[in-house]
Amino acid sequence: MTTAPRERPRDPDQARNPDHARYPDSAGLVAIRRGSLSLLLHRRSAAVVAVLVVLLAGVMLLAACVGQTYVPPGEVWRVLRGHPGPYDLVVGELRVPRIVLGALVGAALGMSGALVQTVTRNPLASPDVIGVGHGAAAATVLALATGTVASPGALPAVSVAGGLAAAALVYVLAWRHGMQPSRFVLTGVGIGVALSAVVQLYLTESELAAAEQVKLWLTGSLNGRGWDQAVPLTWVLLLTLPALVWASRALRPLGLDPDTAAALGVRVHRTQLALTVLGVILAATATGAAGPIGFIALTAPQLSRRLTRSPQLPLTTSALTGALILVTADLTARTLMPPLEIPVGALTALVGGPYLLWLLTAPKS
Amino acid sequence: MRDRPTVRVAWLATALLLALATVALSLAVGTRQVPLSAVLDALVHGGGSRDALVVRSLRLPRTEVGLAAGAALGLSGAALQAVTRNPLADPGILGLSQGAAAGVVFAIAGGLANGFGGYVWYAFTGAVVAAFLVYAVASRGRGGASPVKLALAGTALSAMVAGATTVVLTSSSATLDQFRFWQVGALSGRDAGTVGRMLPFLAAGTLLVLVCARGLDALALGDDTARALGHRVQLVRGGAALGATVLTAAAVAAAGPIAFIGLAVPHLARRLVGGGHRWALPLSALLGAALLLAADVAGRVVRAPAEVPAGVMTALVGVPVLVVLVRRKAVAV
Repeated sequence: MTTAPRERPRDPDQARNPDHARYPDSAGLVAIRRGSLSLLLHRRSAAVVAVLVVLLAGVMLLAACVGQTYVPPGEVWRVLRGHPGPYDLVVGELRVPRIVLGALVGAALGMSGALVQTVTRNPLASPDVIGVGHGAAAATVLALATGTVASPGALPAVSVAGGLAAAALVYVLAWRHGMQPSRFVLTGVGIGVALSAVVQLYLTESELAAAEQVKLWLTGSLNGRGWDQAVPLTWVLLLTLPALVWASRALRPLGLDPDTAAALGVRVHRTQLALTVLGVILAATATGAAGPIGFIALTAPQLSRRLTRSPQLPLTTSALTGALILVTADLTARTLMPPLEIPVGALTALVGGPYLLWLLTAPKS
Repeated sequence: MRDRPTVRVAWLATALLLALATVALSLAVGTRQVPLSAVLDALVHGGGSRDALVVRSLRLPRTEVGLAAGAALGLSGAALQAVTRNPLADPGILGLSQGAAAGVVFAIAGGLANGFGGYVWYAFTGAVVAAFLVYAVASRGRGGASPVKLALAGTALSAMVAGATTVVLTSSSATLDQFRFWQVGALSGRDAGTVGRMLPFLAAGTLLVLVCARGLDALALGDDTARALGHRVQLVRGGAALGATVLTAAAVAAAGPIAFIGLAVPHLARRLVGGGHRWALPLSALLGAALLLAADVAGRVVRAPAEVPAGVMTALVGVPVLVVLVRRKAVAV
């Protein structure tokens, strides 16, 4: 019986890098350190982020050029620099705000999907699963049905409140000596079903015109929306930015099983709650801005994970993927059957779905 | 405790009695109350009294649909949760509900069918086509139709189909006007032949799922373990998924996309008799039937003489129950 020799780190860098101990599977991770600050980079993720940024910029520019009237890129650039010109109205007042709003909503939904799926440990979970979308929809429908909302301008506030309230209700009902992901998800689905039953009932009992209006809102659209919706959403994103930076690292250990995470010194329940709250706030504000646009929160994280091949759901990539899907879908919605506008929520899945299916079936490269 | 045969038999018997009781209620209760003796009389001897006509021409078909659709949804939900190993799985997961909805929208928008009776085949075809597409996509690539790939492919395809139907619905108000009444899911207004047309599919689906019961038990242990135990994993998964597909398609074709039963009932059944599928599957069927019928009866009473559709009532009645069960740790998650 010989005692095993104490293992010496072969690589001096490994000895100094505690992340190696924590994530033995840290191939492709690069740690950048400055004193007490550190940043962990995943090489492939960084490349994916760069590609997505270029793609997103390209699609946004294209969306500014294309529409009922074609505007050359040079003219778009002139508008963006603030020089007066003939296209100020169509590009500056109509297209740009709508494109920016689309990117913000998509990013918010993508990130909230990554947060919620990490907490629930379920690739089918999305903010909708824990009641946000259904809560927003039910609140909006009730407000319309009872006529409590005097102006349509108050509807976003109502839907944000509804989404937050529903998610809070789910959390309270599912909390019992801690938060078990499966219990959380089941409760959320149940509450969501009940809320959507209320919406369905309204759809069958109301006049056709009212039903159509609700159906349109339920599908989600960027039509006729712009700075009024983009500004509050920007504020929310800016205010949550520090939390999001924290979250992108806090997500990591939660990808492991809860006991391991706890053993690593992670306060699992607290982290779960914080990430959930963050995800719900993002989803609720996005829903308030553009209606309950489906599919993005569900699939952007899954797409991102497969693109980056990272072990956990990456936050930055999810945001970019979400923005890319929504901006592309809205561009399609505007230009597919002019002058008829298709609600963008009907197209997010048609744009993003094939891509996800292709990724699912792609052989290992 | 849960695994004792006597306990299991007791729960099955209880569920059977519950289902029978809801059948009796469904025949007797409504805007026109019919005494049980008169119900029996109408079923056995026929007769031309008003009571007998109400029972035989209106409530009997409705009860048949509720019984068949509820049982089919419970059974297929339990099978799909096992196949995808996901507690969130329900009959919507393989694109079934959305496929059926697309079939109905296609029928309405194309002016091909009118009324719930006319939608049946379109809904059935839509559901089956969608499920086959999902399975075909999921079984390509690495690892075949793994649970996560099935779930994701189903969700993606569902969303795509839903997007396409929404495009039609938001651009054609006449279609929406008819579709919204089908979409909510209800048992009323179905004609007498509805269940008869679906019976062969219901029987075949039930048989397929039940035959796979032992294999599903093994799947719960993971694919490798199941293989080591001598089960053919892809065959079990494919067979159970096919059975569940046919069952759901028939149920949705008959009653519309009734949510929640396929999701919640299996959890309750597993809680009562444990995870063994030879017990949990039949119990899910009985509980599903009882829940749907009870919801339908409640919908007739709550706002009489107006009716609340069964699809709405299952949610409003079932959700509080589910939440309580989940909180009491009574649901096997």
